[in-house]
Formats: sequence, structure tokens, C-alpha cells
Amino acid sequence: MHEIILLALTIPIITGLLTLLQRNQAVVSGINFIGSAATSTVLMYIIYVITQQNVVSSQYFYVDHLSAVMLFVVAVLTFTATLFSLSYMEKEVHEGSITLVMLPRYYGLLNLFSFAMISVIVVGNLGLMWVAVEGTTLASALLVAFYFNRDALEAAWKYVMICTVGICLALFGTMILYYAQVSVGAGGPALDWVTLKNMSEKLDPAIMKIAFIFILIGYGTKAGLAPMHTWLPDAHSQAPSPVSGLLSGALLSCALYALVRNTIIVQGAIGPEFAHYMLLALGLLSIAIAIPFVLTQHDVKRLLAYSSVEHMGIITLGLGVGTPLAVYAALLHIVNHAIAKSFLFYLAGIVTQEYKTKSIKQIYGIARVMPLVATMLVIGILAITGTPPFNIFTSKFYIVLAMFENQQWLLGGITLILLTGIFAGMMYYCLKMGFGSEPNEKHRFRMSFTTMTAMALSLIVIVTAGLYLPPVVNSVLVQAAEIVVGG
Amino acid sequence: MDLLTILLLTAAVLLTRVSNLRLGINIVIAQSSIVAIACVIIGIQTGQVHMYIAALLTVIIKVGLISYALYRVLPYLQAEREIVKPNFSTFTAILAIILVHGLISKALPSFAAASTLPAAISLSFIGLLLIMTRNQALMQIIGLITMENGLYLMGLSITQGLPLIIELGIFFDVLVAVVVLVILTYRLKLSLATTDTGLLKKLKG
Repeated sequence: MHEIILLALTIPIITGLLTLLQRNQAVVSGINFIGSAATSTVLMYIIYVITQQNVVSSQYFYVDHLSAVMLFVVAVLTFTATLFSLSYMEKEVHEGSITLVMLPRYYGLLNLFSFAMISVIVVGNLGLMWVAVEGTTLASALLVAFYFNRDALEAAWKYVMICTVGICLALFGTMILYYAQVSVGAGGPALDWVTLKNMSEKLDPAIMKIAFIFILIGYGTKAGLAPMHTWLPDAHSQAPSPVSGLLSGALLSCALYALVRNTIIVQGAIGPEFAHYMLLALGLLSIAIAIPFVLTQHDVKRLLAYSSVEHMGIITLGLGVGTPLAVYAALLHIVNHAIAKSFLFYLAGIVTQEYKTKSIKQIYGIARVMPLVATMLVIGILAITGTPPFNIFTSKFYIVLAMFENQQWLLGGITLILLTGIFAGMMYYCLKMGFGSEPNEKHRFRMSFTTMTAMALSLIVIVTAGLYLPPVVNSVLVQAAEIVVGG
Repeated sequence: MDLLTILLLTAAVLLTRVSNLRLGINIVIAQSSIVAIACVIIGIQTGQVHMYIAALLTVIIKVGLISYALYRVLPYLQAEREIVKPNFSTFTAILAIILVHGLISKALPSFAAASTLPAAISLSFIGLLLIMTRNQALMQIIGLITMENGLYLMGLSITQGLPLIIELGIFFDVLVAVVVLVILTYRLKLSLATTDTGLLKKLKG
């Protein structure tokens, strides 16, 4: 089993290296299509094994149901992002935004990014997890700066600086955690998650509290929680659209995953209340902060980026409520959000490429030019704002339901009001872009086959997951929630 | 050990007064060398082989490769200078050192005797201060390295260092971070003709 995890890590590296050696565009595309399909297949196989035998662990790796949920996100998103990249980047080359020489570099970095995200999820050691999370920042930094124009450089600079400083605080927290482990005096591998979890009751509560604050701020920065979210809209809006989808859907989720793993240990040491209150506060703040920016937005990709801040807030709220139902819903929301948001970023990519602008003011009448894209956009926005019958409605509903069940009336009420604000903003801009008179001199847009496949795959999940959740998915989520709640 | 701590903090305080980029790089290299020497001394005191490896890694990566990367980009930045308010920065840095020492000796008396922990935390603070108050891209990178040196020293002082594999990963990450930032600095110079990050405030709202 150990080998299969290693395989999942080596495929992206090999694909990336092979890509860098190629000059021919068709060959590069082919290699990456096969590479991403292989990676996703292996990841799906790991998930399958988890459903059979619950835990796979070795000296450095540890994969359980919680990891399986995240692996699913990364598996789907790397595949759709690569598929979507094929024709998107081809068009960028065609239009002269980038040169053909830059294309292998793009795919090389994309594979490195996938590698870093997979390693965050499969390592079983909190120290190595930190290394991997920092690795995701570095792998994606040059993707954010990919166009190397003024705005992209600004975004990348802020991204690396804010996230590295943030993640340094997480390292600080991890070191304090290690100190807590050492001072107990028990043996066992350093910072190993299972070891720490088994001995969590013995860890010094005062030290663990300090450690948790630093870890929360550190990984919270990376997960885009307010008020440390300032890098997020810049990075998401300046990166190439497939990368924006990956950043928003997979990267933020990976950072949250690292936070959750640490929180489980902290809960064992100091009880759940302290961690829960902190998570609730950050979650609520993230939703509230996103509203004014969503309501007065002028850039379509920034609109989606602020919506990501909001959704990370919702997930954090779910984790903060902390009942099994809430955690279950939060994990489901991670999956739903990842797929719906990457879908929307891909659509935004198509639209910005066709209209050659990201400004919402200059985008109108998509329904006339690209009826299919407009339909998908409306479905996507309806889904992301939590309208039934789409997938995000289910998870949002469960999170709010859990709040009311847990007697947190005020919290539930405030959350609902805030979500209404987001809904208003998103729908307003969606309708404005989707409808209206036909812009001049626009020819009809033809979606390529690979793009179509990527979009259809996401769309199927968005529509069906709202109506029907397969029992196997359900059981994985339930068991993952059990791991988070503890016990 | 005490002498090294004093040297380290002096270097950090000096860094707050620097406006010449080359001088800044030299000071940060000196700082990393002191950290390496500290590793060797702890190694002699405790007899752990681990510490010698850590010292070696510090020399190779922080003194060697990172300074090589910084020196590579330096020729492109001839005209760049940092405009600093030296007295204010130095005052804040010294204030940070005093406050940290005071807090640590009050909250964790067992550590105050060692004097390394407060020094390490103040070093991180000064690094953070540099990142926040400096506009030159290269000075921010120097701040980041200072902050990381502080964190590393903290790890040494409270836990005798993390396991080697994690430490290797951290070193590698720092190296890649500096290389990525140096690439971005170079590109900034190419497209903006300056590396003053104070100009980077177009993306808003």
C-alpha cells in the first residue's frame, strides 16, 4: 500500500519532468492529459482502499477517511484543471498572451503544484505537513505570476510574502507543539500525528493553547480566512483561470485540512470549546468581510475569489459548531465548494478569454454569444449561492441546521442573513453578465471537446450531489467526521 | 553562547539602520553564520551529531546558496536604495527585544536563564518588522530570512532541534522561497524598472 501512495506522488513529478523536456504543443498536451488521468486514477484507488480497510499508514504516510475526502477533491480538480488547461492555454498562446516556450513551464509548475497538494494530504507527520503546505505556496507562486505583467507580479509578491510569513507562524506553532510532545517525555516519533493523538490528553494545556493560536493564524492565512485573506483575491484574479480554480478549490481546502489535523490534537489536550470559539469567530468574520466586496465588485474573478473567502468561512463555521452533523456538513461543503468554484473559475476563464476583459461592466449578453456557457454560469452561480436543488444547498443547509440543533440560534440567524447578502451580490452580477443586449462583432463560441468534458464532469457532480449522495460517499464522510469530532 | 546571542541581536538591530542593499545582504549572511556557529556550540555541549549536520546545512543553504541567489540579483539593482527612518526602526527593534525578554522571563522563567529563546523570538520580531516597514523587495527578503533564522534558533533552544527530515524540508522550503522571491524581484525590476514594492498597490477591492 505504501507503494501506491509513492506512485501517486511520483506520477506528477515524472509528468512534470517529461513536459519540461518537450517543445511540441501536442505532445505536451498528450503527456499531461495522460499524467493527470493516471494521478486521479491512483488517488481514486487509494480512496477505494480506504473504504475497504479504513487506514493506510507507514512511517511517513498516514491516510484515513479524512484524507480520503481531501484526496477526492484533489483527484477531481487536478483532472478537470488539466483538461481545461489544454484548450485554454492553447488559446492563450494563439492570442499571444504567452509564448509557446512558456507552455511546458506552465504544465511543469502545474504538476509540481499537484504533487505538493497530494503530499499535504498523505503525510502523517505534522512537521512534514508544514513543509508540504509551504511547498504548495512556492509551487503556485510562479503560476500566479505566470503572465509576469505588473498586476501578476504584484499579486504573486503579496501572495508569497503574506503566506510565507503566515506559514512561519504555523511553524512556530508546530515547534511549540513539538515542545509539548517532548516535555511529556514519552517516546514515539516526533510530531507523528497518530502518536500525538494517542497522547493528546497528556499534553500541557497552556502550551497547547499558545500552539493552537499560532497554528490557527498560520494555516488560516493560507486557507484565506479573514482577516488574513488579503492575498487571496489578488492571487486568484491574476493567475491563469485553471490555476485559479485549483487555488480556490484544492489549495484552500488543503490548508484547512492541515488546520483540522492540528485542531484534532489540540481538542484532545484542552477540550473542544477553545478551538471551537476561535473557529466560529474567524468563520463568521470571513463571511461578513466578503459581503461588501461581493456587492461592489468590478472584476469577475475577484467576485469569485471573495466568494471563496465566504465559503472558507462557512466551512470553518461548520467545524466550529463541532457537532457530528456540522462537521459532516463542513466536509461535504469542502467537496461541493471545490467542484462548484473550480467550475465557475473555468467558466470565468472562457468568458474573460472571449471578451478579453475581466471587468464586469464590459461583460454582457453572454446568453446571446455563448448560450451554453451562460446556462452553465447561471447554474454555477445558483449552486454556489446555495440554491436548491444543487449540491451546495445540501451542505449549507446541514451546517445551518446543525447550528439550530446545537441551540446556537443567534449564530444561525446571523449566518442566514449574511448568506442572503452574498446571494444578492452574486445573482446581481451574474444576471448582469449573462443577459442584456448582444455585444457587437462577436462570433459564436465553440467549446472544445476537452473543455466540454471537464465542464460536464463538474456539472454532473454539482447537479447529482444535490439530489442523491451515494451510500459509499456518505459512509466516508460520516467516518471522516468521527475522526474530526474525536473518539 | 551569550556572546553569540549578543552578536546576533546586534546584527539584527544594525539591519534596521541599513539602506544599502549590499550591506544588508552581508549582515544577513553574518547572521546566518552566527546561527551555524551556535549549532556547533550546542553540538559540542550536548554531543549530538544532529547539531553538526544542522550547522553544515545552515552553512550550505543559508550562507552558501541563499547568499549566492541574492548576489545574483544585486547587479541589476544598482540604483536601488532603501529609504529608512533609522531611529524609529532601531527604537522599535530595541523595544521589541526588551519587551520579549521581559515577557519571557515573567511567563517562562525556566527559559529566561538560557537567554537564547528570548533572543530567538526578538529576532523573528525584527524580521517581521523589516518585512512590514521596508519597501525594497530585497530588504523584505532579508527580513524573511531574519525571521526564519529566529524561528530556527527558537527550535534549537526549546527542543534541541526538530527531527532531521523535517529540518531538511524546512531548509529546502526557505531556499526555494528565497529563489522564487529573487525571480520575482528580477521580474519587478524588468517590468516596473524599480523594486520598490510600495508601488504595488493597484489591486484593491
